Amino acid sequence: MSSKLTRFEKARIIGARALQLSMGAKPLIEVNEPLDPIDIATLELKKGIIPLDIKK
Amino acid sequence: MADIKSIDKILKKKKADFPESLIEKIAEASERHDLNAGELEELIDRIKKAYERATVEDGEAVGTVAAQSVGEPGTQMTMRTFHYAGVAELNVTLGLPRLIEIVDARKKISTPTMAIYFDEDYFETRFKKEDIQPEAEKERFKEEFVRKTANMIGKSSMNDILKNFNLNYADMNIVVELDEEKIIDKRLDRDDIIKRIEKAFKRVQIDNNMLSFEPSTSSKDETKIPIRELRLLADKVRDLQISGVKNIGKVVISKEGLEWVIHTEGSNLGSVLKMEGIDKVRTTTNDIHEIEKILGIEAARNAIIREAQNTMEEQGLTVDVRHIMLVADMMTADGSVKSIGRHGISGEKASVLARASFEETGKHLLRASIRGEIDHLTGIIENIIIGQPIPLGTGSVGVIMNRR
Repeated sequence: MSSKLTRFEKARIIGARALQLSMGAKPLIEVNEPLDPIDIATLELKKGIIPLDIKK
Repeated sequence: MADIKSIDKILKKKKADFPESLIEKIAEASERHDLNAGELEELIDRIKKAYERATVEDGEAVGTVAAQSVGEPGTQMTMRTFHYAGVAELNVTLGLPRLIEIVDARKKISTPTMAIYFDEDYFETRFKKEDIQPEAEKERFKEEFVRKTANMIGKSSMNDILKNFNLNYADMNIVVELDEEKIIDKRLDRDDIIKRIEKAFKRVQIDNNMLSFEPSTSSKDETKIPIRELRLLADKVRDLQISGVKNIGKVVISKEGLEWVIHTEGSNLGSVLKMEGIDKVRTTTNDIHEIEKILGIEAARNAIIREAQNTMEEQGLTVDVRHIMLVADMMTADGSVKSIGRHGISGEKASVLARASFEETGKHLLRASIRGEIDHLTGIIENIIIGQPIPLGTGSVGVIMNRR
């Protein structure tokens, strides 16, 4: 993923990933406690492991 | 020690892309405070941080924000103010009416005015040429020159230089005496005045300062000249313009700080810039269309920015320049000054739906259907109308899958 994301890009990616998670995609991080798909997506983004890219 | 080149080098190393004016300011500051290399780097680091914080991100609704940032202070402006700061004798439109005038890009503004400055270098060469040494003498020369120029620019009519004005009904002529003193006081050229008079009136006899005018006889009857004609001639004689630049009326000479400035009522940038001894860089007008005609579109853009900001500041309101710059950019982007609204940028949008949603909906839709126009749905308004995500903010970001 490119260097720094704008706040719009972050929101868009988290949203898209959260949708995938909510539909049953396997989280790419360890989830030991009950978490919101959005929270999981946010944690994934922090780690930089979301399998999504920005198309300009 | 910190010249612009060395700052450029540091900037390149730190991957900071600053505008030229900012680099110049950094150079000036480091000169003033005598910064060493470490301090300079620290300064640039901090400026870079602040600069990046102040930039907008991709996808931000800058246009909407600009519209609100200009519109809100607009509501606080005095509805009508007619007053000129500093020079009490001139009226200049200010406040909301002026702001509206600017964004409407009016062809005829209500109070055109100029600020005319003088070129110090020109004075210096004149001092050398005429061998003027003492300071007091120089000042006197300057004032004399400024007053002379002001009278060349400002409008004077015959009425201003008359000593005597007689309507002689018996001889059916008008006898006028010129006031030599007034001519000298106004720094006018007597021969030039005489030439103008001779050009304007066919039947005039000149005997030193005594002029006698006769009305042109109507061809029907040589002997009977109606009195009305004589009176009309009298008015004509009084109102004959003997000096001045076209479109400029009153002028006010004032001293701002150490230098002389002429403020005018009316504006004619082209003619004034051709005059001798005038500072061609600072002399300006508030007529944006005139600036566009004479100095070009970039100058017009700067004029819009300056005028709009001065108008706001005059009322004690501060608006970030970038909002005004965006407005000015939109108004000047396609090479001529366009107004904001139906006849300008909103009326010339590429998209049919965007135009139709603004004003005159029926007209635009009908015309588009006759011509078979195609809407590519690239703008905001079009996508709102058909119910799609808009290309702004989050909507401007595309996402693709990237399986690793």
